[in-house]
Amino acid sequence: MTAGEALQIDSITKTFGSGVGQVEAIASFSLDVEAGEFLSIVGPSGCGKSTLLQIVAGLMPPTSGRVLLGGRDVTGEPAHMVYLFQQYAKSLLPWMTVEANVGFGFEHRGKFTPEQARVRCREYLDMVGLGDVAHRYPWQLSGGMQQRVAIARALSAQPRVLLLDEPFSSVDALTRLELHALILELWEKQQFTAILVTHDVDEAVFLADRVAMLTQRPATLFGVMETELPRPRRPVETNELPRFLEVRHRLLGHLLAKGTGTHDGP
Amino acid sequence: MTVRNRVLTLLPGIAFIVFAVGLLEFATRSAAINPAAVPPPSAALETFAALVWSGQVWKPLVQTFLLLAAGYGIGCVAGTLFGIFMGTFRAVYDLFEPLTELLRPIPKPALLPALMLFLGLGATMKITIVALAAFFPVLINTVQGARSVDPVMSDMARTFGHSRAAIVWKIVFPATAPYIASGMRVSLGLSLVVVVVAEMLASTGGIGAAMLDSQQMFHVRETYGWLIVLALLGLALSGGFNWLERRIVFWIAPSST
Repeated sequence: MTAGEALQIDSITKTFGSGVGQVEAIASFSLDVEAGEFLSIVGPSGCGKSTLLQIVAGLMPPTSGRVLLGGRDVTGEPAHMVYLFQQYAKSLLPWMTVEANVGFGFEHRGKFTPEQARVRCREYLDMVGLGDVAHRYPWQLSGGMQQRVAIARALSAQPRVLLLDEPFSSVDALTRLELHALILELWEKQQFTAILVTHDVDEAVFLADRVAMLTQRPATLFGVMETELPRPRRPVETNELPRFLEVRHRLLGHLLAKGTGTHDGP
Repeated sequence: MTVRNRVLTLLPGIAFIVFAVGLLEFATRSAAINPAAVPPPSAALETFAALVWSGQVWKPLVQTFLLLAAGYGIGCVAGTLFGIFMGTFRAVYDLFEPLTELLRPIPKPALLPALMLFLGLGATMKITIVALAAFFPVLINTVQGARSVDPVMSDMARTFGHSRAAIVWKIVFPATAPYIASGMRVSLGLSLVVVVVAEMLASTGGIGAAMLDSQQMFHVRETYGWLIVLALLGLALSGGFNWLERRIVFWIAPSST
């Protein structure tokens, strides 16, 4: 399988607008992401987490700074990097069947006969447990199933880096746990680098090797914590480990301190 | 909705039509309305049946339908292509938007006198005026649709490495299809209006010309017979349109799965 790729985020800044209405979203953010690691980024809501991820994905240019993927500058949307959106319902194409939606992720990248494409779609749909709904349409499925389709589509492109923009925040709690297990299983199998942006501290700790904490807007890196939790992660046992509680405690402490406005910024 | 339910919902409306026609029949038979201006509905229906059985209906009907189809087809295709272009590229939009706003409100039949000077009284003139009438509603709706495509969809396609052209063809166009269909629905009604008016002015065949001829020769019943033909043509076109629309933009309002 394709291995993950290392990523360097180097002194990124992002300012929206100009003059009086100017808003500084990110103020000099640097972070090295190791090849194949699972990194979570948490921060107070509205702190610019998603903006940061969109810059990494090449969807938005930074005001200054750069992103290096495998040592090369990222310009535009790099190949081998796939973005999983929070709004799965909007990112799936309603006029295509589930199978065609998955095919949309990779078919243009090489020469596939219809049969080869179909086999690969089925392979990834089976992986997310949706082989039997290949010919249905996304809007005929539940929210959790739709996000599974989006995951199958993302992975069928065989990314080296997977960017997850709060992809589990709009499904119910139980489905979220199932999707956590699924994404970890696929991450271990395919060994891509994963960067997850979330405001859910439990989720951030449960999934990641390291958790990066952002400050309030304008976002800078507040600190990085190694979770040091054993793998495989288990939804009940892992969350009860003393280490889990400790990491969770410190992250929440950070977020709450920022959230209550003890820091008002310059 | 089952067929039975559908029939049941239609029933009161149909009953009312029967009632209204019956009332009109009574009013004309009792000369409360001058039967020379408005023939009894039964007489109009009789004339309509005669037009059909004698085969007299076909030539004008086919002519009108072909002109309509050609003009409408050209207008819709042009409106869609240009609309996608304007809706996708900001610069194109800024360049053409004021011109569109200027031309759009002109009632299209008002262009007929000028067009008849340029293009004569034949098919070219009629197809042109129908195409113009069909063009603007499709254009306006397509532009609006293309501009409101959710950025998540195009961002998604970008992150998978689809080219700009592929995004227009594979995302913007299908995502805009429901808007294009709304525009085409408005255009269909307008096109039928315009083709009949053009035929009446040009007097070179078609249902519009047949209607005007019969009226000028005081064959009032025949005028109404042609009116029935037009009503049925409109009904068939709109029914056909709905049937096609449900199948082409099937993902909109999926009520039954």
